[in-house]
Formats: sequence, C-alpha cells, structure tokens
Amino acid sequence: MESAVNNGCCPEHGAPGGSNCRAVGPHKVPGDSPLAWFAGMVGHCKAHALAARAAGRPIVGIMCEYAPRELIFAAGAVPVCLCGGDPDTIPSAEAHLPTNLCSLIKSTYGYLVEKANPFLEMADLVVAETTCDGKKKMFELMAEARATYVLALPHREDDPDGLRSWVEELRRFKVFLENRYGVAITPERLREAIELMNRERRLRRELAELMKMEDPPLTGRQLLDFKSIISGLPDDLDQYERALALWRPRERSGSATHDARGQSPECATARQQPVRVLLTGVPLVHGAERVIEIIEANGGLVVCQENCTGLKPILEDVRADAPDLIRALGEKYYHLSCSVRTPNRKRLALLAQLATEYRAECVIELIWHACLTYAIESFHVRRLVENELGLPYLKIETDYSPADSARIATRVAALVETVRARTAAQHKWLSGVG
Amino acid sequence: MIFAGIDAGSRSIKVVLYDAATRKVVGRGIAEQGVDQARLAEALFDQTLEASGLGRSQVARTVATGYGRGSVRFAQSTVTEITCHARGVWQTSPNARTIIEIGGQDSKVIWIEPDGRVRDFAMNDRCAAGTGRFLEMVAARLGVDLCKLGEMSRASARPAVISSTCVVFAETEIIGLLASGAAVADIAAGVQKAIASRVSTMAMRAVVPPVYFTGGVALQAGMCRALQHALGAEVRVVPDPQFTGALGAALVAADQAD
Repeated sequence: MESAVNNGCCPEHGAPGGSNCRAVGPHKVPGDSPLAWFAGMVGHCKAHALAARAAGRPIVGIMCEYAPRELIFAAGAVPVCLCGGDPDTIPSAEAHLPTNLCSLIKSTYGYLVEKANPFLEMADLVVAETTCDGKKKMFELMAEARATYVLALPHREDDPDGLRSWVEELRRFKVFLENRYGVAITPERLREAIELMNRERRLRRELAELMKMEDPPLTGRQLLDFKSIISGLPDDLDQYERALALWRPRERSGSATHDARGQSPECATARQQPVRVLLTGVPLVHGAERVIEIIEANGGLVVCQENCTGLKPILEDVRADAPDLIRALGEKYYHLSCSVRTPNRKRLALLAQLATEYRAECVIELIWHACLTYAIESFHVRRLVENELGLPYLKIETDYSPADSARIATRVAALVETVRARTAAQHKWLSGVG
Repeated sequence: MIFAGIDAGSRSIKVVLYDAATRKVVGRGIAEQGVDQARLAEALFDQTLEASGLGRSQVARTVATGYGRGSVRFAQSTVTEITCHARGVWQTSPNARTIIEIGGQDSKVIWIEPDGRVRDFAMNDRCAAGTGRFLEMVAARLGVDLCKLGEMSRASARPAVISSTCVVFAETEIIGLLASGAAVADIAAGVQKAIASRVSTMAMRAVVPPVYFTGGVALQAGMCRALQHALGAEVRVVPDPQFTGALGAALVAADQAD
C-alpha cells in the first residue's frame, strides 16, 4: 500500500512501482560472487587497519585522488580514504561548518565530531589538499583534532611551472613522511608501491572496460562497489582477478553464463533495453550511491563513470621504470582532470573519448550542492555534450538527503524516454532513406 | 477504440478518455488529490467512464503520468509528465517549440522538435517557489480565493519585489510587505513576476518560439502576461491547460497500442 509520502514511488530509489520496487541494491548476489566480497568492504578494511596498526604501521587518512597513496605505502603506512557518504553525520558538522557547503565535506567532518569513523579515529595523520576551498578550510578545523599535512596543488592546467612545483611538493611530502615515521623511502620501496597501485588500477580499469560490451555483465551500481577505501589489499586484488575471469567475454562460451546484471533487481524488472548513460561530475563515495541507483531503477545503465569514484583516477599509471620516481608520480597525478583546474580541457577531451568508447546515449552530470567548481564547469560540459557529441545532457544538483529522489527519478525517466524516442526516430529515418 | 490517460498530480488528479477512431476527447474528469492516492484515481476513473457512458472493458489501454503515476495500479504503463505534456501540447498546437508547464509543485520548460519529440527539458529542483504551491500560499496569506488572486494582480501599477527563492522565506517577505502597507494587488502581481522570473531562469534565455503555456497555473489571469514579460517572447495558453498531461497520457496510450 503506497502512502502519501512516497507517492507510489519506491521511497529509496524513486522508481515508479511503490512497494513493489525490487531495487534493493546490488548486494543480493550469491555468497561466493566477487560482488558479495566487496559488499563486506568496510569490514575487511577495518580488520586490515586494526592489524596494521597493531603491527606498528600508521594509518594515514586521505580525502582526494591527488593524494599519492604510493608515497604513503612506501613510508610503511596505510592510506585510507575518509570521504564521508552518510547524511546522518551532517547535522553535527553544521555546528561548525556552514549549511551551504557540500555534503561530502560536511559528512566527513561530521564523522570527526561524532568520532564515528573508525578509520579517522585510528588515523595518525590526514593528508589534506587544495582541490576545493571548502575542503581546504575544513581541514583547518580538522587540524585542531588531527595532525594534517596540506598538499598544495597548482591549479593551472598544462603549466610546466605548475608541474615542477607539484613535483617539489611531493618531494617535501616524502621528506615529511620519512621524518615522521623514521623510515627511508628508497626507490625500491617506492617502486614496489607504484607497481602495487599500477596493478590495482589496471585490474579496476579492465573491470570498468567490461561495460563497453553491448550487453554488459554488471550494472553501474555493481561496478561502483569494486573498490576499497584501502587500496592494494591482496584479497581485493584476487577478487578483481576472479571477477575478470568470471565476466570477461571468452571467445567460445560468451559472457552470459555468469552475468551478474541479470540477477540485479533493475534488470529483472526492466521491460526494455536500458539506455547507456555516461555519468560525470562529483564522486559517489561509499554510502552516497543514491543517484546511480535512481538512474538504474528508471531505465538507465551507467556504462561509464567519468569521476573520481569511476575511471578518472585509474586511467593513467605511474611509470615504474622512470629514473625519477617522484617526478613520475607527480606527472600521473598532475594529469588528473579535477574541476579545480583551470581551464580544465583535459576533462572535456576525456568525456568526448569515453562517450565514444562506451557508446553513451546520454550524459548525466551529478553535482553536490555548493560544489562551485563542478557546478560552473557544467556549462562547458553541457555545451560539449549537446553541441559536439550531439547527446542529451541532464544535470542533477542534489545532496545526501533523499528528499528529492522522486523528482530526480522523474527527470531521469524523462531523459530515458527522450533518448528512446530519439533512437526510434533515427531508425525510422534510416529505414526511410534505406 | 478508447484510450485513457490519468494525470495523478500533486494537487489534483485528471482523467482524459480519448477515442482514437474519431480523434476526439470523449470524457474528462478532475478531482482533488488526497491521502489515498490509489483509491482516488480509481474512483475518478470510474466516475469519468460512467459520465461518458463507457465501461472499463471498452478502454483498450491506460497510461498514468504525474507525480503519483506509480500509485495508479490499473494503468498498463507509466510515462513521465514531461513526455505527456509535450505529447498533449503537440496534439492541440503542433507548431509549439517551447512549452512552459507550471503545476502544483513543480515547473518545467520543455523544448520540442517539429515532430513532437522532447528535445530537452528543465525542471525546478527541490524548491516550490516557481510553482502553483507558491500561489496557494500567497492567496491563503492574503485571505483571497486562488482564482481571485490573478484578477487582483491586474490592478497593480507597481508589482512588489519578492526576491526569496524559497516559499517559506517568501511568506515571511510577504508578511513584511503587508506590514509596510504594500497594496494587495502589488503583492499579487509581484508573486506572479517572481514565478515568471524563476521559470525564465530555468529556460536559460533559450526559449524557441512559439511558446505555449500549460498546467493548472496557466488558468491564473495575469500569469501568461507575467511570463511574456520575463521571457521576452509571446506566450500562448493551450486550451484546457489543466488537462494537457492527461490528454498526453491518453495519446501516448494510443501511440503505444499502434
């Protein structure tokens, strides 16, 4: 029975169908599936962090893909992503932070206030960075409770002086880590860490590339779970390999036998082929997956994520054979196309490339409220998508609260209807001229 | 063959029965939305059928749209109000290129192709300030009937400036205006201007003429003029604007059956 509140839409996903909505998230999969493994990701990371700390390895919090995990590993420490995805920690954050600030920053800080993130509680150090003014100033408040180290990222794109300055910044960070933890970050240790991260990036990249298939074996929501807040865990790497062995198309047997998407609630209830969506904009950190769930419960299939929880940070590796490994690290990270860069032409070029490679039928841009850089940059993204790629574009500005789920669902459903009508008209036109 | 469209909106439910053979609307009904949305839609559907001398068995297909479309259990499929409004307007005004729809709790700008397909659309996010709900709040605050509010705006020479982008804060602003002795007509006109300005922002200065205005708020006297002023373009009100969504749904039902 539907209530007046959910208006006949699934309260969680906004999909029409009310209480009949079977979109229950990605975790209803057989117990031995790699998906089931990653459903326990936080537990695995917690066990690993506790064991590492007991063995004397410091826990280092990071909050951005610009933070070079390789240097932290090489210093014998464990980097953990601290980005908050929980709306419930936001009210405590608002005691110190403005209401009009992005949910990701507030949620992260709220965890600190509530002492509710076990990883932040264990952290000996938090690596801060200058990728947005909101975060930068939040770190000043966080510094009252935790040791923080700020990495200053030059903002100008393709600036040789900027790159030089960034490489020097990483050299200083290396010395800082060495002094703090009484270790020498030797080229051997650093190379080992680079190779570990390269391996993880390659595996995750290959998994993401499965979505190029005509009939991908996963939903975008399922793929989103194939990552861990602690990188390089051996069990995770094994599971990435298993997943690839399971779902990579084989020459003879095809890919349908172990299709996980077929078991997803979205696929089970869908009446038509899903529309291929390229999702861009802000990251969807652990706990903040609502929008991708709404997209896939309303006829979309996110085949590619051009954001920091998707392909962006794993597309480029670090040259492990470079004579100057710090410089090689600096180059990889300097190329990340975050909206804080100006101008950010690399992101537009990447979007155009990914839209073609993944055969996107539309582009959806997600922006957390008060994320000024992504919000303003959406002007360029819309223009690129509509005028140059010739695809429909939808911008969703929201935060962690589910209040607008039904409205987002309507907008996504309308986009899906638009794409389908457009495809039908193209077919009609083609058969007309043919 | 009869096709039915149900527009389960936030403030009212609309039903349109369409005869595909004669290409005519053969029945229409409207009722207030309430708590038990599923039952209300069904009751209105049956009433409308009865008043038109039809039975359920004669309805070939039913499509539901609107905010509560998921609760219309007897519909064969659901289609968003964006597609339905575009379809409904295109039927009565095939030269339309831009549609402004203002309903009970949301407002939309829809751009359509010459063949009636939706090219693009924009919709208000969480806020109700550009919607019918805003007018309801103001009418209640000014102690006038919702229908009278539009007529009153005509007497205004200097519309009041209402800058709040939130209905709750706008109410505070209106209380302030009343306290400072502003004329009720100026407040009524000011509210229409504020709504039109929100819609114009949403349209990103990119309206393509001809522009048509639909949705329940299009019935408000003065609203169309306020929109014309804000958009800098001629705006025409479609016939029976509150039924456009339901008509579109019935037409989509007929298209789906083809």
